[in-house]
Amino acid sequence: MRRSLHTLASLVVTAVVALFCLLPLYWVLVTSLKRPGTEFRLPLRAWPAPVSWESYLTVLGPDFRIQHAILNSLLVSAAVTAGALFLAGLAAYAIARLRFRYKVQSLTLIQMAGMAPAIVVIAPTFVLIRSLGLLSSLPGLILPNIAYSIPLSTWLLAAYFANLPFDLEDAAKTDGWPPFQVFLRVILPLAAPGLFSAGVLVFLGSWGEFMLALTISMGLPEAQTVPVAILGFSQAFQLQWAWVSAGIVLSLLPVIVLVLLFQKTVIQGLTAGAVRY
Amino acid sequence: MRQRESTIALVFLAPAFVALGVFLFYPIVQTAIYSLFDLEYSTRWREATFVGLANYGDVLASREFWGSMRFTVLFTVAAVSLEFVLGLGMALATFWVVRPLRGILRAIIVLPWAIPGVIQASMWRWLFNSDVGLLGHLAVALGLADQPPLFLADPTLAVGSVILAYVWKGASMSAIFLMGGLAMVPQHLLDAAKMDGARAWMRLRRITLPLILPTILVTLLFRTLDALRVFDIVYGLTGGGPGTTTDTLSSFAYKFYFTFVQFGRGSAYAIITFLLVTGLSLLYIRRITPHLRFR
Repeated sequence: MRRSLHTLASLVVTAVVALFCLLPLYWVLVTSLKRPGTEFRLPLRAWPAPVSWESYLTVLGPDFRIQHAILNSLLVSAAVTAGALFLAGLAAYAIARLRFRYKVQSLTLIQMAGMAPAIVVIAPTFVLIRSLGLLSSLPGLILPNIAYSIPLSTWLLAAYFANLPFDLEDAAKTDGWPPFQVFLRVILPLAAPGLFSAGVLVFLGSWGEFMLALTISMGLPEAQTVPVAILGFSQAFQLQWAWVSAGIVLSLLPVIVLVLLFQKTVIQGLTAGAVRY
Repeated sequence: MRQRESTIALVFLAPAFVALGVFLFYPIVQTAIYSLFDLEYSTRWREATFVGLANYGDVLASREFWGSMRFTVLFTVAAVSLEFVLGLGMALATFWVVRPLRGILRAIIVLPWAIPGVIQASMWRWLFNSDVGLLGHLAVALGLADQPPLFLADPTLAVGSVILAYVWKGASMSAIFLMGGLAMVPQHLLDAAKMDGARAWMRLRRITLPLILPTILVTLLFRTLDALRVFDIVYGLTGGGPGTTTDTLSSFAYKFYFTFVQFGRGSAYAIITFLLVTGLSLLYIRRITPHLRFR
């Protein structure tokens, strides 16, 4: 009796949390399936009748090409992840495994950099990217985003590297391997799970980056990432919410798949630095 | 040997510091320099007039600054406390529900966290729509209003709307942090207290909460830092409106830059925001750093 009461209460609790977390997403899905032009009809229905896929065809069509923004985002996030993991990996190796003075200070400085609000760097970064001729180009987005991702990934990787066994590394050093070889062929393979977890977080972080993307893209489609493109849609088509919603659903698919597949990794990664005492 | 190891460390740290230098340290210093010059429609500070701290004086004397400061602080306090309560509730729920539901519940909770802020803003703009927005019609159905309220046009409601939209994602983030802390509370302590007849509320107050206090502090600090820097949800949902009611420090500074094109004053604005956040972030970093143990 107590048991089934607990089960029942658990179902209720789960339903309430799901209502809070999923309702906005569900409503966008419903809107995306309405026939364009019927978004403003009352009464509101929990499920559109009839279901229409027209908006999806529209946003994938020549006037919108949401797939272009999604591809841009995928390219930017992939490049940022690779770049940030490499640079942060090197730094984290030094911090976690090598002896040198000012170690704590180096780590603190890196973390402080990660806390700087975007607004305090945006104007000079805009000028810098313009002088490099990289406005509305993907490299103009990738390079600063690598730097922005270094603090979090250094933190996560240093915590991971610190817990790796030392015997393999010591053996390689005794054999006279140069330090970079030790890092590349001993540490990185051992740290694959840690790299993966940091990588997922960096990927998601740069996927959602907005202020730089807005500023560097200059309103041109060439270097528009998903957040900028969706904001542009929703401002340009105030009355065509079926289109905007279809764009949102498509552009959220990669993130949602990633999160649901690697939910455990995400939670562990986010809490690793914050709660180990 | 020791000398050599610190040289190697330097070489390994160098690339990351070069990247941080070019795209974070240098721009911060440059913004500080901009803030001392009279810069309009241009960032060529070498050709501009040096005005010392006059930009700061102008900013600190303006009503808009104190308006955005007041809103940012109100927003931060309201959002972080709401997020914390909701996040703690959801985190506790993932440990309380029957086992088969735990994984599902965690997956549901993580989802809002992963939605980019500005997309979230677009979603909520539709939910808040005054004609066919879901929330307006829910409010009517629940008897809270006679007709769908003008969520984003009414100043008071706009403040609440921005906070609600932000909290949706923030609660998810807080819950993730707190789940990490709760996972480390030893089950046997809770079981023992239960055997001794301690009720659920007592166990929460006397065992769970004290044990996860460090996690709670880190969560609150981290979320406060995030809220103080908020930009995309405001930019996408209200654009700071109506008027400048929901402008935060960051969103107003962005207007200075790219709408009014006043780089000197905008930079002073940005530096003030930076100092505010940096003071707090030092606290945060001090809290989390000693717990990493290195060779």
